[in-house]
Amino acid sequence: MTVENRGWHVRFLKLWLPLGVSLIFALFPFYWMAITSLKTNQELYSRKLTPLYVHNPTLKHYIDLFTETSFLEWTWNTFVVAVISTAISLIFGAMLAYPLARIRFAGAALVSFAIAATYLVPQPLLFVPLADLINKLNLNDTLTSVILTYPTLLIPFCAWLLMGYFRTVPQELEDAARIDGASRLQTLIKVVLPLCGPGFISAGIFAFTLAQNEFLYALIFLTKTEVRTVPVGAIAELVKGDVFYWGQLMAAALLGSVPVAIIYSFFVEHYVAGLTAGSVKG
Amino acid sequence: MAGVSRQSRRDLLKVGALGAAASLAGPSIVRAAPKAMTMMHESSFIPPYDAFFKNKLAVAYEKATGIKINYEVVSVGSLLTRVTTTAENGSGPDMSTVGFNWAYLFDEKLIDVSDIAAEIGKEGGGWYDNAQEAVVVNGKWKAIPYANIGQLMNWRTDWFKEAGYEKFPDTWDELLEAGIKLKKNGHPFGFELGHGFGDNHGWLYPLLWSYGGREVEADGKTIVIDSDETARAIDYCRRLYKETMVEDCLGWTDVSNNKAFLSEQISCTNNAESILWLAKKDFPEMAKVIDQSQNPTGPKGRFHFLNVQAHAIFSHTPDKQAAKDFLRWLMKPENLGPWYDVAVTYYQPFLHKYDDAPMWNVDKRNIPYRDAVASAHLPGWPAPLSRAQVEVIAKFVVIDMFAQACAGKSTKDAIAEAKQKLTAIYKA
Repeated sequence: MTVENRGWHVRFLKLWLPLGVSLIFALFPFYWMAITSLKTNQELYSRKLTPLYVHNPTLKHYIDLFTETSFLEWTWNTFVVAVISTAISLIFGAMLAYPLARIRFAGAALVSFAIAATYLVPQPLLFVPLADLINKLNLNDTLTSVILTYPTLLIPFCAWLLMGYFRTVPQELEDAARIDGASRLQTLIKVVLPLCGPGFISAGIFAFTLAQNEFLYALIFLTKTEVRTVPVGAIAELVKGDVFYWGQLMAAALLGSVPVAIIYSFFVEHYVAGLTAGSVKG
Repeated sequence: MAGVSRQSRRDLLKVGALGAAASLAGPSIVRAAPKAMTMMHESSFIPPYDAFFKNKLAVAYEKATGIKINYEVVSVGSLLTRVTTTAENGSGPDMSTVGFNWAYLFDEKLIDVSDIAAEIGKEGGGWYDNAQEAVVVNGKWKAIPYANIGQLMNWRTDWFKEAGYEKFPDTWDELLEAGIKLKKNGHPFGFELGHGFGDNHGWLYPLLWSYGGREVEADGKTIVIDSDETARAIDYCRRLYKETMVEDCLGWTDVSNNKAFLSEQISCTNNAESILWLAKKDFPEMAKVIDQSQNPTGPKGRFHFLNVQAHAIFSHTPDKQAAKDFLRWLMKPENLGPWYDVAVTYYQPFLHKYDDAPMWNVDKRNIPYRDAVASAHLPGWPAPLSRAQVEVIAKFVVIDMFAQACAGKSTKDAIAEAKQKLTAIYKA
């Protein structure tokens, strides 16, 4: 065996094989969604045909999804809700995280603990009182209802992630800015935040994904077809009793996951940097 | 029905008379009608059913009265969450579909509709007795039952014929015998034994009752699950599972048996009309060899599962009389009849007026659904609705008793565990 050949084998075993297995593991759900969405109902239920590929592809489920449901409206609603609630959560999360990471004050540890505790409160405990509030504000069946309630989950999450990231920024940089005459706010905006891009990207992507996938609040507050988000709309209109419209469900799931996949692909390097930086001491 | 608190016919007539008197006096009371009301429904398995309400009934009512009826559709499995939120907050839709035992669960949040129930019953040829099991709480009608979604035996006539059966077995023992032959021919049975929402209760409670077993007496207190009758039902269930079914039924939910039947994996299951309905749409050849039959009979009779769909009015509704007027209008034969027709017997009426309705002639295979209504009961029968009964259903106590026995537990141990759970729940 030549050296080159041995090198190729080693590289195959140590790199390409694990990478291939990981890729198959990660992408198989998408592949399954894609082939299911392209099969006829007869093929979906057939036990005689191999289920791993499509024998008689059809776009019927996609056509039905676009013509018989309000999928495009749901997608737009989901996008609007996820973007605005993520933005709100990042702003308030940063305002909460910075003082906890940088300023020493009485009760800081308690506040940090309270943030974690808030994030851990299960949604089923919160939806009844939140529904009461939304009713009193007369916000039922408006996107505002979920735009206002999602940050109750997202702000603690963003704050917790950003706290770890703020601590990685060297204190000396802030001290230098303060010596040069910058106020605390100016230091935050002009020195700290520009250095924390990856942290914001990772918190933002996570928050966006959580907001996009959220189900319970959307189910409670958004009951009209035209204001629903994709998770609730798809379940409400594509699951009938004990019959699932698998083709349309998979088409909706596939199309619904595309925006997040695109965002991830653009920011993946910063995202990983943000996660790892937040996980070690500064 | 023993143990269920309900009104006598005389009481209903009295209430009806009072209602009539009140309506005669009505014109003297000036009442501003609401501009709109909202009715909440779970997304129907039959899409035209929802469309008919929205596009025909709501439009007709607005034309007749000027009151707009918003039809709010909630996804399957999500209605209870929405009803809970609406009832607890005292705001939201004015009316909703309620099922199962919800009239009891939300008793205080729903208004008494006994008066219109009496009128509707009179006009509709009388109510089926068991309709009241799910909606009469402490002697008051808390909802107007409009339909049962029955569960029957769905079976393949061609494969049964191959095994020597021209018609569906009449007794549980005959079904076992047929199942053994069919499994040998490569066509096993498949009945849900997992934690689904209906197809498990749909056959296991009727099986228990048909052997004379009960979880609790009619007094709603005395636990009687530990009996020879229960043991016989469990022993039968274990044999049916082991000798006739596919193994994975233990983990099935409601969607699993539909999929197994339509993919020709199984030859018989217990389900609502959805299998035949979907087969007609997507598998027309298979649809020709599907039939539906009542549950087999046991030593103590033939039973079915009661799956009541009823309309209730929330107590927070600003104009309760307007909501009652709407329900009264909705249940008139000229409005209700066409609505039933759209769903072609998927919704089986609780009023005797519809026993010979034309919808039953559309497909004779659906007639057993009509015939099964009278012998249908709620889980927990013959005890009246109670919080304990609700908890027993939510925790799948009876379902798990059968499933654990099928999975290998001894009959004695399965009953002992169920008894322990029932005692804890009913004594709490």
